[in-house]
Amino acid sequence: MNSTPQLLFKNRVAGQTIFFKDYCKTGGYQALTKALKTMSPTEIVDVVKASGLRGRGGAGFSTGLKWSFFPADAPRPKYLVCNCDEMEPGTYKDGELLAADPHQLIEGMVLSAYALNADVGYIFIRYAYDQQLRNLQQAVAEAKKAGYLGKNILGSGFDFELHLHGSAGRYILGEETALLNGLEGKRPNPRLKPPFPAVRGLFGRPTTVNNVETIANIPHIINGGAEWFKDLARNPEGAGTKLFGLSGHLNCTECFELPVGIPLGELIEDYGGGVWKKRKFKACLPGGASTPYLTAEHLDIALDFDPLAKVGSRFGTAGVTVFDDHSCMLRATLNLLQFFARESCGWCTPCRDGLPLVCWLLEKIEKGEGTNEDLEMLKQQQQQITGRSFCALAEGAMGPLDGLLRLFEQEVIDHIQKGECPF
Amino acid sequence: MPTLTIDNRTVTVAEGASVLDAAVELGIVVPHYCYHQALGAVGACRQCAVTILEGSQKGLKMSCLVTAEDGMQVSTCDEESRSFRAQVGEWLMTNHPHDCPVCDEGGECQLQEMTIGSGHGIRRYRGNKRTHTNQDLGPFITQEMNRCIQCYRCVRAYKDYCGGEDFGVMGSRQRVFFGRFKEGPLESDFSGNLIDFCPTGVFTDKTSRFKTRYWDLQQAPSICPHCSLGCATLPGGRYQQLQRVRSGSNRLTNDSFICDRARFGSDWANHPQRPREARIDGEKAEFSVVLSQLEERLQSLVDTYGGETLRLLGSPRASFEANLLLKKLAVRFGAPTPCYDAHPRRAFAARAAGSIPSGQLASLQQLRASDLVLVAGVDPLAEAPVLALALRQVVRAGGRVVVLDPRPVELPCEFEHHSLTQEALLRGLSAPEENELLESLRQQLEAAHHPVLVGGGDLLGGAGLLLLRRFSESCCGDSDCLIFPVLHGPNSYGGGLLEEPGERQRDLLEDLENGKVRALICLEADPAIEHPDPGRMQLALARLDLLAVFDHLPTHSVAAANIFLPTRTLFECGGTYVNNEGRMQAFAPVIEPGIPLEVSGGGGHPLRQFDSGVPGSAPHSAIHLLQQLLKDRQDLFGLRRQIVEEIPCLRDLDRLEAGDSGRRMADCGESLEESRLEIWAQEGELRLLPVMARYGGDQYSRLSQPLASRLQQPCLWIHPLEAAERGFGEGQRVVLRTAVGHFRLSLSCKEKMVRGRVMLPCLPGTPLEVFTPGGLSIPCQLYAEDDNA
Repeated sequence: MNSTPQLLFKNRVAGQTIFFKDYCKTGGYQALTKALKTMSPTEIVDVVKASGLRGRGGAGFSTGLKWSFFPADAPRPKYLVCNCDEMEPGTYKDGELLAADPHQLIEGMVLSAYALNADVGYIFIRYAYDQQLRNLQQAVAEAKKAGYLGKNILGSGFDFELHLHGSAGRYILGEETALLNGLEGKRPNPRLKPPFPAVRGLFGRPTTVNNVETIANIPHIINGGAEWFKDLARNPEGAGTKLFGLSGHLNCTECFELPVGIPLGELIEDYGGGVWKKRKFKACLPGGASTPYLTAEHLDIALDFDPLAKVGSRFGTAGVTVFDDHSCMLRATLNLLQFFARESCGWCTPCRDGLPLVCWLLEKIEKGEGTNEDLEMLKQQQQQITGRSFCALAEGAMGPLDGLLRLFEQEVIDHIQKGECPF
Repeated sequence: MPTLTIDNRTVTVAEGASVLDAAVELGIVVPHYCYHQALGAVGACRQCAVTILEGSQKGLKMSCLVTAEDGMQVSTCDEESRSFRAQVGEWLMTNHPHDCPVCDEGGECQLQEMTIGSGHGIRRYRGNKRTHTNQDLGPFITQEMNRCIQCYRCVRAYKDYCGGEDFGVMGSRQRVFFGRFKEGPLESDFSGNLIDFCPTGVFTDKTSRFKTRYWDLQQAPSICPHCSLGCATLPGGRYQQLQRVRSGSNRLTNDSFICDRARFGSDWANHPQRPREARIDGEKAEFSVVLSQLEERLQSLVDTYGGETLRLLGSPRASFEANLLLKKLAVRFGAPTPCYDAHPRRAFAARAAGSIPSGQLASLQQLRASDLVLVAGVDPLAEAPVLALALRQVVRAGGRVVVLDPRPVELPCEFEHHSLTQEALLRGLSAPEENELLESLRQQLEAAHHPVLVGGGDLLGGAGLLLLRRFSESCCGDSDCLIFPVLHGPNSYGGGLLEEPGERQRDLLEDLENGKVRALICLEADPAIEHPDPGRMQLALARLDLLAVFDHLPTHSVAAANIFLPTRTLFECGGTYVNNEGRMQAFAPVIEPGIPLEVSGGGGHPLRQFDSGVPGSAPHSAIHLLQQLLKDRQDLFGLRRQIVEEIPCLRDLDRLEAGDSGRRMADCGESLEESRLEIWAQEGELRLLPVMARYGGDQYSRLSQPLASRLQQPCLWIHPLEAAERGFGEGQRVVLRTAVGHFRLSLSCKEKMVRGRVMLPCLPGTPLEVFTPGGLSIPCQLYAEDDNA
């Protein structure tokens, strides 16, 4: 079953954390040594661009392309920020990665910073990731001692200073500009774009924000080369492997490193062990709480950004949450919307006041008190909120609502007609 | 200058203007909350959505965030943006109470107007509303957080613009709370702006709540009389009572902000002790009788002893027109030109400011756009609070502020403070090239793009302001170094223009003491405490044959007057003030003069019965009063036209309208030559400098009840090391010995003040009123209270 090449999880041993010595044994820091000695920053950016690596935080933007916009020749300081505020329900892959093998991120950070000519880095870590923070603290200390961090790294003349920052704990901090405000000690409201972080980011300086998994992939791309990385995927347009975090009504809910483009059905049957309690598959969130549902008709679909976008969903973070056929999708959607309404930062009206209004409507229908007007209003809310909020939080919250109204409208109508939840 | 089309109407707007600005220009109502002209756009409320049909961005956009482009086509009437705006209205109203009839904001509520403008009418939400516990924010502001629509304007005004540190956003999602971390009085000197900036009834004016419904309120544009900056205000009142002051809007001066002293310091107009009836030798008499008696006595005095024996004193409080008529009255009686400030040094400072060519003077707008401001001898929060706000904007935009002042100056922004004595500052300015600090600052000013020098008339005096002007000329690099003089009254500058040219500093007291003067007319002036030597002045006043006073404040001179004629306040008549940068600004009458009418129901309900004490003859305006003495029957407009004909440099005076942005006067001040400095030998190791208090330092704030809790308490400022050397500490009771008497005071240690000085915040209406700011330091001695006993 596990014939997939393991990159990010290659050193993973259940219940253990691999530190410097063991990391080096399996080729750790070789990519960094190779890059600093033989590659120019632009070469790295080009390799990453050619590898087809797309941002693993959910948006799926080409990492190499993003880096190529970075003003590498602007005066210092310039910042590389790693977003490890993994707070989306159903998403826990970065936590697993850092629990197993934190040095990958450190090596990736130094490599990325070298590629971007950034001199200061921050890793912004989720409030609940206490163990991961401690792992990183140890890894940073080890890397510093070994000369992989700090001044004149490996005699290359490149300096890189890396700071760890524990979050105070709000979902909005996963939004990159809110994260920058949070790092600056300000209220984490998202910032107006433009200016984009690459132009004016942390403390007003050029900044790139990348996800943990994205950065951890960089050493492997440098080691294996762009072609090799691209060919790891199962689908032609895909690239690399992906950490899939399974959750929900499955027999096995674990995190696996699998090729991008693996069909949904294969993931569920071969890795998730099938739907639990011998029940049937009803739906799943393919990439975290903010992605519209997939249903049984999508079981053959390749799990990657483009194929999922074609069917109206998103690859997101590849945190797959499965619902069995006993689940009330209205109830599930309400649960997700309550999370988003609770985590709204309160800055813009559609998110702050619109999401609670959606919750109120869903709750009313779920309790059997809904009317056809409520359903109409719910549809209006989905249309009015989508694309019109200040940042992507409310946009993401509309993902499951969109799925509900598109794929499970009859279920909602049943609630209204029966005057109670049919499940 | 892009030309764009909105709803098939075309408009050309300034480069960089937003689509919302363009719509406002066309008079198209696009509802909005978070956008405010003075605060800019942040895109939070999403209410101002429009549809861009043609342009570099298309589709539904927030009009406050989209820059107007040439050839852009915009629609506000299309279904998409119309329905979205209505939806935003519904969202904002889900938690807003439906209690407009009992809300003090009702009738002037932006939320009311713009909810209707958004098209939202019927609320579909039937669930519970979120509620908050309100905080007690002190004597000025009432908070009702349940009404909040989270537009963030309060925090952007209070914290970002005004630099207040004790107010902010707390919580998240729908429970966002705007207030203090803990209940308590707001600490900023600009807290009242919350009232103007809140688009609904969350922050309302505690001092005027429920006094008058907005539609019953009499309002008219006015000018703040509290300092020399001439901020635009919008006072309102009813039943002959002045009830509230809001900020007016003048982008050239205060933009949309005023200080708390201006906002909550206007109750003096309603003061129960305000003298409202004419009196002869303390006895009430009819206005016409008193007026003719005054005329007779003046005529006979002049006939008997000659016009030389009559003196007239104008004031920085009186309107420019009244001060000018006073000059005409002097001509009519053959008396010397009036003085326009009882304080000779302050009068000379005003003349010196007036002598600076108009092109070298900065407006507050120019000051806000400066990148380097040198403040010499001004404590902005005490002498001109809105200047402190302007300095904050300089720093916010990346500029620098450097302050040279002996006082423990505080500002709501970062700044460099060089603490040096008044004498050292003046000596430095007299030979800046020999002074290391000034020479370095001169080079920095020269290199700056828009340098501005701020100079305090009180501390520097006229001679110092002239030196500052010379210094500014040496600082002009690629761009001119402008000057922003700070004077002490709303019409100090105007008075300075009317002073007799030639003589350097005239001291009224000297004239009075040499016995040649037999009569004095005071126009809204109180020489008894405004002169730097009030003791001698009071004796001199008592020796006069005739002391005639026209005023509306209960002053010492009013009490001592042989003939008293009441005048109207600026809220009750029209007139003009000339601010510190020579800007003539008109104010309009707001309310009727007369005793405020009390609504009383004798315990019954409803309160429909008026108090029986309806007043008799109402006071006349000072202008009208003087016109009667001059047999001049023109109205205010005719008077202004006549003034323009007589004094060409005031050519725009007759084009002024209350509420406009005012007009700079052309150069007509005398040209004053620099002269020898008034630097004196320093006697004694410790000297006393009387300084302006932040609250209670002027007559107006002392007499305004809402400011009572803010009034400065009597105390003596000392540098902590200076105190320690004498074995004193913070709060220590001491005796201050000076030539004018002994005073028991407690010490307040101020680390940022200069050494070798003690400072006394001046407080008219207290025993400390014998000290007046605007002068030089005087010798003094300090003893512990026990030692003295």
